[in-house]
Amino acid sequence: MLRRLAILVLSLFIASLVLFVLLRLLPGDPANALLSVGADPQQIEAAREQVGSNLPLSEQFLRFLGNLLRFDLGTSFISGAPVGAEIAARLAVTLPLTFLAFALALIIAVPLGIVSAVKADRWYGALISTVSQFGIAIPVFWVGILLVLVFAINIRLFPSGGFPSRGWHAPLEALRALALPVLTIAIVMSASLLRYVRASTLDVLGSDYLRTARALGAGFTEAFVRHGIRNGAVPVISILGIELASAFLGAVVVERVFTLPGLGSMLLLGIQQRDYPNVQGVLFVSTLLVLLVGFAADLTQRLIDPRLRDKARVAS
Amino acid sequence: MTGTNAPAGTFVRKSSPRGLRAFATTAAFATAISLSFAAHAADSYDPDAIINVGSLYEPQNLDNIAGAGQGINEAFNSNVYEGLFRLTDAGNVEQVLATDYKVSDDGLTYTFTLKPDVKFHSGDPLTAQDVKYSIERVTGPDSKSSRKSSLAPISAIEAPDDHTVVVRLSSRSISLPYNLTYVWIVNDAAQNLTAGEDGTGPYKLENWRRGSTLSLKRFDGYWGEKPTNGEVIFNYFTDATALDNALLTGAVDVITGIQSPDALAQFKDNPEFTVSEGKSTTKELLAFNDRVEPFTNVKVRKAISRAIDKKKLLNSIWGEYGTLIGSFVPPTDPWYVDLNAVDPYNPDSARALLAEAGFADGFSFTLDTPNYDPHPIVAQFIKSELAKVGITVNINVITANEWYNKIYKAHDFQATLQEHVNHRDIVFYGNPDFYWGYDNPKVIDLIKSSETAKTEEEQVAKLTEANRIIADDAASVWLYLYPQIVISKANVSGYPVNGLNSQFFAYGIKKSD
Amino acid sequence: MSALDETPPVAPAATRKSRWSLTLTIGLILVGIHVAVALLTLFWTPYDPSATAGGRLEPPSLSHWVGTDRLGRDFFTLIMIGSRIALVVGIGAVAIGAAIGVTIGLLSAFATRFLDDALAATLDILIAFPVLLLAMLVVAASDGASLWSAILALGIAMSAIVARLTRILAKRVLQNDYIIASRTSGTSWPGVVVRHVLPNIWPTLTVNFALQFGIAVIAEASLSYLGLGAPPPNASWGRLLQEAQGTVYTAPIGAIAPGIALVTLVIGVNMLADGLRDIGDPTRRVSR
Repeated sequence: MLRRLAILVLSLFIASLVLFVLLRLLPGDPANALLSVGADPQQIEAAREQVGSNLPLSEQFLRFLGNLLRFDLGTSFISGAPVGAEIAARLAVTLPLTFLAFALALIIAVPLGIVSAVKADRWYGALISTVSQFGIAIPVFWVGILLVLVFAINIRLFPSGGFPSRGWHAPLEALRALALPVLTIAIVMSASLLRYVRASTLDVLGSDYLRTARALGAGFTEAFVRHGIRNGAVPVISILGIELASAFLGAVVVERVFTLPGLGSMLLLGIQQRDYPNVQGVLFVSTLLVLLVGFAADLTQRLIDPRLRDKARVAS
Repeated sequence: MTGTNAPAGTFVRKSSPRGLRAFATTAAFATAISLSFAAHAADSYDPDAIINVGSLYEPQNLDNIAGAGQGINEAFNSNVYEGLFRLTDAGNVEQVLATDYKVSDDGLTYTFTLKPDVKFHSGDPLTAQDVKYSIERVTGPDSKSSRKSSLAPISAIEAPDDHTVVVRLSSRSISLPYNLTYVWIVNDAAQNLTAGEDGTGPYKLENWRRGSTLSLKRFDGYWGEKPTNGEVIFNYFTDATALDNALLTGAVDVITGIQSPDALAQFKDNPEFTVSEGKSTTKELLAFNDRVEPFTNVKVRKAISRAIDKKKLLNSIWGEYGTLIGSFVPPTDPWYVDLNAVDPYNPDSARALLAEAGFADGFSFTLDTPNYDPHPIVAQFIKSELAKVGITVNINVITANEWYNKIYKAHDFQATLQEHVNHRDIVFYGNPDFYWGYDNPKVIDLIKSSETAKTEEEQVAKLTEANRIIADDAASVWLYLYPQIVISKANVSGYPVNGLNSQFFAYGIKKSD
Repeated sequence: MSALDETPPVAPAATRKSRWSLTLTIGLILVGIHVAVALLTLFWTPYDPSATAGGRLEPPSLSHWVGTDRLGRDFFTLIMIGSRIALVVGIGAVAIGAAIGVTIGLLSAFATRFLDDALAATLDILIAFPVLLLAMLVVAASDGASLWSAILALGIAMSAIVARLTRILAKRVLQNDYIIASRTSGTSWPGVVVRHVLPNIWPTLTVNFALQFGIAVIAEASLSYLGLGAPPPNASWGRLLQEAQGTVYTAPIGAIAPGIALVTLVIGVNMLADGLRDIGDPTRRVSR
C-alpha cells in the first residue's frame, strides 16, 4: 500500500520532469506569446520573469515544482486569467463528460461482453463481437460527426454542439448539450471494453474452478455468478483504469467535435496559441488525474482479489 | 484619419477556428455606415421584454480606453454611453448630446452646444466639464484607445459655460465629428470605469458575470425616447457553433453574426427565424509583400489578380451571399467606386502580363495562410487558379500568433491571406511601413491631405482618387467583401443589421409574445 | 481515442480456428484495395485533385460519385488520394516507431537492472497517455505542422509501446537455457540479438506493427481533424472530414464518405493482424 503510494508520487515526479522537458522544446521564447499582441519590451521582460525563462534550467525546474506544490499553475499569456481557475471551470464540463461516458460504456459493454462470450456459438454472440470489431476501427471524432448527422440534423433531438453559457445553472440544457458527446465516447469505449469483458469471460468459462463448481452440482448460472464474475472482473478492472483515463484524454477530440468549453479545447487552444502556461497546466492536471485513476483501479483490484492483497502484504 | 500607426490587432478580425476564442480587437476607424433597422416592426410588442443577444465578443473590461476590445462597443455604444455624435443607419454622423456646433473659418475651432437636462445614471447632470474630461480621457497618456491618434490634432478643450464646449485644433481635421462618435461622454466624477459605468444612455449596467453574461436595464431617467424593451442581456460564446445552437434552442433571441452560409441552412427555411442581410465592411484579401520580388512588379500583381476567378471563389465560400468590390473600399465608405473592371478575371491576359514581366514560365511563392476558416480553403482555390497560369503556390499554414510575429511585425513573408474588418481603412495604404509595404508617394500624399481638406467633397475626391490608384496598382488582391448576416427569432425585430461589429443599438428592439 | 493503445485480446483459437482464413482473406482484400487505389493515384485519378471540376457542394452523381466539396473538387478523387496519404502515414509511423522502439526495448532488456527499471517505469508512464496526445505535443514542439511532422510525431509516440513489448518479449527469450548457455560460451550480445532474440520475437512484433498501423492511421486522421496534421492541399481523410463538418447541413455525404474509407482500411489491417497471429501460433490464446 505504502509502496504503491510511493510509486504514485514517483510517477508524478517523473511525469512532471517529462512534461517540463517536452515543453522546453517548444520553439522560441515562451514570452513570444505576448509579443504577438503588441507587447512592449517591459512586458516581454515581465513575461520572461513570469515564466522564468531567464533562469538556468535546473532552477526553472525547481521553481516549476515549487509552484506545483503550492497548486500555483501561473496565469495565461493570452487572457491573463489564472490557469488553475480556468482549469477548474473547464473540469466542470470535462469530468461529467468523462464519467457519464464511462458509466454508459460499462452499462453497454459488460452485459454484451458476457453474452457474446457465453453465447459465442449463437448468431447474436458472433454478431456482437463482429460489431465490436468495427467499434475499435472508428475514429471517435467521426462517430461524433455521424451522431450529429442523425440526432442533431435529421431528427433535431439534441444540439449539434456548444454548452449553455450559464453552465450547470441551466442543468437540463447542460445535460442535453452533453448527450451526444457522452454517447460518442461511450460507443467507442464500449467497443474495446466489450472485447476485454468477452476475453475475460471466456477465460472464466474455461477455468478449473468453474468446472469444479459445476461438477459439485451448482447450476451454470449460479456457478458463474458466484465464482465467475468475481474472478473475471479482476483483469477487467485493471483495464478500466486505462479506459477511464483514455476517455478523459480522448475528450480532447470530442470537445472539438461538439465545441464544448472543456479541458481538451483549452489544451488545443493553448497549443495553437502557444499559450505555454495553459498547456503546461492542463497537461499536469491530466497526468495527475490519470495517475490517480490508475491508483484507484489498483486498489479496487486488490480489494476484490485476495491473492493480490496477500502478495502486496508480503511485498511491503 | 492619421491612424496609420494603429497598434497591432486593431484591423483584423481574429475569428477563429471553432472553439478558438476570438480575440476581441479594439475597433478602429469606424465609419458612417448605415444602420438600417429590420424592416417589419412587430405591431404589438411587450414594452418590458427581456432581449437576449448572443455574441462572440465578450469585453475584457468595461472601459473602451483600457483595451476592452470590440465587445464593449457592441454592448455600450449608444446603449449605456452616448457621444456628442453617433453613426446612424442613414450612414450619417448624427448629433446626440451636442444640439449644435459651429466651425470657425480656418477650420481650427469647433464650438459645441450641449443638450440641456441630460442626466447621468448616477443622477448627476451633464455639464461641459464632463465633455472636456471625457475627450481628454481618450487623448490622455493612459489611454489605450485606438482613436487616440485620430484625435491628435486637438490642442485644447475649453468649457466657457456649462453648456458650451470649445475644441481647438492644431491642424484641420475634417473627420472630427466622425471621430467624436467614438468618444463616450462619462461623468467626470465616476470611479473605476473598468468594472462599472456612469453614462447618459437609455440603459444602465445591471450586472456583468465574467465569461457569461452582461445585462443592461432600462434607465428611467433617460432624456430621450424610451427603449422599446425593458432589459437587454448579452450572452457571450466562444465559438460560432455554440452561438448558432443557442439561437436554435431559444437561449438567445438574436445573434450578431453568422460565420458560414452552411450554418445558415438551419435557419433559412425555418419560419421561426428571421434572416437579415446587412452591409459589411469585412474584406478578404490576398496581400502581397510589395517590397519583395517579384511582387514589386505591378504587372505580376495584376496578372495574379486577373488569374483568380473571384466570383467563383466567393460562391465557394459564401454561396449566394457576399459582394465583389475590386478594391479595399466597401460601398459604405463615401469614397467607394466599383472597381471590379480594373482587373477582371482573364487568365489569358494574366499569362500575357506575366510574359511581359519576364515570367513566361511562371514562378513560385509561399502563401502564409492563417489556420482558421476561410483562409485554408481560399488558399487551395488560389493555388489551383494560379497553377493554370504557371505559378506554383506553396501553402504554409500558420497560427494567428505566427501571423502577427512573422507577417505583421517582421514583414517576413511573400504573400498572405487576411480579413480586414475596419471601416474607412484605406488609410493603411498610405503607410509604407504597414505589413504589406505598399509605397506610392502619390497615395501617401492623397491620404494625408484628405484629412486637412476644407470640405467633405474635397476629402471624398482625394480618397476616391487614392482608391482608384491602389486598384490600378493592384496593391493587393481584394478577393471579396463578406456578407453581414443577422439572425433572430421571428418575434423579435428592430435590431441593427449592418456590419458595424462594434455597435449594436438595442433600444429599438421589439419582442412580441 | 479510448483504449486504442492496447493490443486487443483475441478470442480463443477454438472458436476462431474454423474461420481464421476468412479473417485473413477479408483483411487482405481490404488492405489490397487500398494499396491498389493508392498506387493507382500515382498515375491516374478521375479528376485533377486540385481542379474545380464541378459546382459548389454538388450531390453525388454519375460524374461525381460522392459529390464535390466547397471548391467544386471531385470528392471521390480526394478520398482516393487519402488512401495514399493514410498508407504513407501508417508505414512511416510504424517504421519510425519500430526503429526507435525495438532499439530501446532491446537495450533495456540487456541493460543493468537499475537502468532497465528506470526505462520500464518511464515507458509505463508514457504508455498511460494515448498516442494522439503525445503526438499532439510533438507536433506542437515542432515548427509548423506538415505530413512529415505528423508521421514523426506518431512514430515517436508509438515507440514507447513497441519498446515495452520488445523488452518483455526479449527478456522472455533471454531466460531460455540455450541462450544463457550461448552467452556463457562467449557469443557477444549483438550476436545473441541477431541469432536468437530477433528471430524469436519478430512474429509477435509483426502482428503488433499491423495493429500500430491502424492506430497510426486513426491518430493521423484525428491530428488532421484537429488542424495539427498534414496542411492543405494534402487530402488527408481527417482534414476532409473536418472541412466537411462545416457543411454537414447542406452536404452530409462529405462527412460520411472519407470515414468509410478510413474504417475499411483500419478494419482491414486489424483483420490482417488477427489472421497473421493465428497463422503464427494457431493454438495460442492471448489474454494479454
